[in-house]
Amino acid sequence: MHKIIVDNDSIILQNENYLDIEKNKDVTLYLFGEGKTIINVLEDCKLTVYHLGVDISNDIQINLNGKNSEVKYYYSVVNYQDNVLKIVINHNSSNTYSNVYNHGVNVLDKSLRFEVSGVVPKNILGCSCNQENRIINMSNGKSMICPNLLIDYFDVSSSHAAYIGKFSDDVLFYLMSRGISREKSYSLLIKSFLVPTDIDKEKVEDFMVNIENI
Amino acid sequence: MLDIEDLDVIVKEDGKKILNKLSLNIKAGEIHAIMGPNGTGKSTLSKVILGHYKYEVVGGDILFNGQSIKNLTTDERARFGIFLAMQDPITIEGLNNSEFLKTAVNEKTKEKVDLYSFIKELNELLGKLKLNQSIFHRSLNQGFSGGEKKKNEVLQLRILKPKLIILDELDSGLDVDSLKVVCENINEYLKDNTDTSVLIITHYPRILDYIKPNFVHIIKDGTIVRTGDMSLALQIEKDGYGSINNIEEAGLNA
Repeated sequence: MHKIIVDNDSIILQNENYLDIEKNKDVTLYLFGEGKTIINVLEDCKLTVYHLGVDISNDIQINLNGKNSEVKYYYSVVNYQDNVLKIVINHNSSNTYSNVYNHGVNVLDKSLRFEVSGVVPKNILGCSCNQENRIINMSNGKSMICPNLLIDYFDVSSSHAAYIGKFSDDVLFYLMSRGISREKSYSLLIKSFLVPTDIDKEKVEDFMVNIENI
Repeated sequence: MLDIEDLDVIVKEDGKKILNKLSLNIKAGEIHAIMGPNGTGKSTLSKVILGHYKYEVVGGDILFNGQSIKNLTTDERARFGIFLAMQDPITIEGLNNSEFLKTAVNEKTKEKVDLYSFIKELNELLGKLKLNQSIFHRSLNQGFSGGEKKKNEVLQLRILKPKLIILDELDSGLDVDSLKVVCENINEYLKDNTDTSVLIITHYPRILDYIKPNFVHIIKDGTIVRTGDMSLALQIEKDGYGSINNIEEAGLNA
């Protein structure tokens, strides 16, 4: 699938996907499903992506090709089988900005792997390249996070955070101390973990139903 | 209301004894304050009453309205009507404050909340607590000031309408004006619910100027070593905990 994005859109990914974001656009994309996807972001674009799904594997490349382009990528997955997310952010122009938030709930005993790379080559100035990866294990699943920051220039601010584990017992105690059952507390925590606060919930109703059913 | 009998509690992780044959009886409508220096088991007691996961009751019992609650889960105890206003309320990113409150009410009443009356009640309470309406739409306690967190605890208290209120270091992180506001709100609730009891955990008597206790207890080494009235708190304010001489010998003298 080749598509030029000129406005907010919802897209169901197929095997191979090429998305070009027009210049000077502020765009919000809702992506569903899985596949190999390349997103090219041109000058002065601000791209926000909400990519959600159940049992999905993805291979995503985001090219920040134009100056002052920005991407915020929210990836939320509910995992029952073996799945992998590979995501690479290439800062190909100066003054580009990336924030990637990958959240997964690994429900059963299968594997979930996040391989996340931010790349800033030499002589690319004034970039900000950040990633946050978290996986909650509900059972004894094998979860792995491989965060890579491949920074080849000095004028860059960059950060990463990675967490694999369960929900905090203190958080659970707080919710239950208000009379909320353990099951409902987990449901609230999973929802708050997987559904970004600014998302348009009407656009992700199916995903919300899937969360309720965990 | 609440009867704690010879309670022995250990920390699960290392087996350290943290409450030692502690007994406390709170009748309906009474206000009790527990005071003591750091590390004597005050906050632990508040958490143990609600079945905190870190602690294990190895002796004695906790009765609420005549029924043992020591084997109940935390949510079951809370639904019985016990509310703990925490010293440092938890932050949960992404969990909308109003959704959290609505869920808590739903779970307690087992009925779907009537949205109109729920929002009306919340709005009234926001005004009384001098809280901005935006607090509904923010993530639970995220980015809240110390005062907002404590007011949010009192907001939850008033919405959930407990029979036993435990205030753990309510005054920590509160300025004088905010402390006055939250205490006025609790007093108003108590005026409307005269059979509700309160257990105040505190280092300092300041909060007791606003919420007047019937009994003041001093805790040391995990057990209550002296019980008195407000004059005991004032003595501690004046002379410190060191002024309580021979407290082991004094025992319970209420």
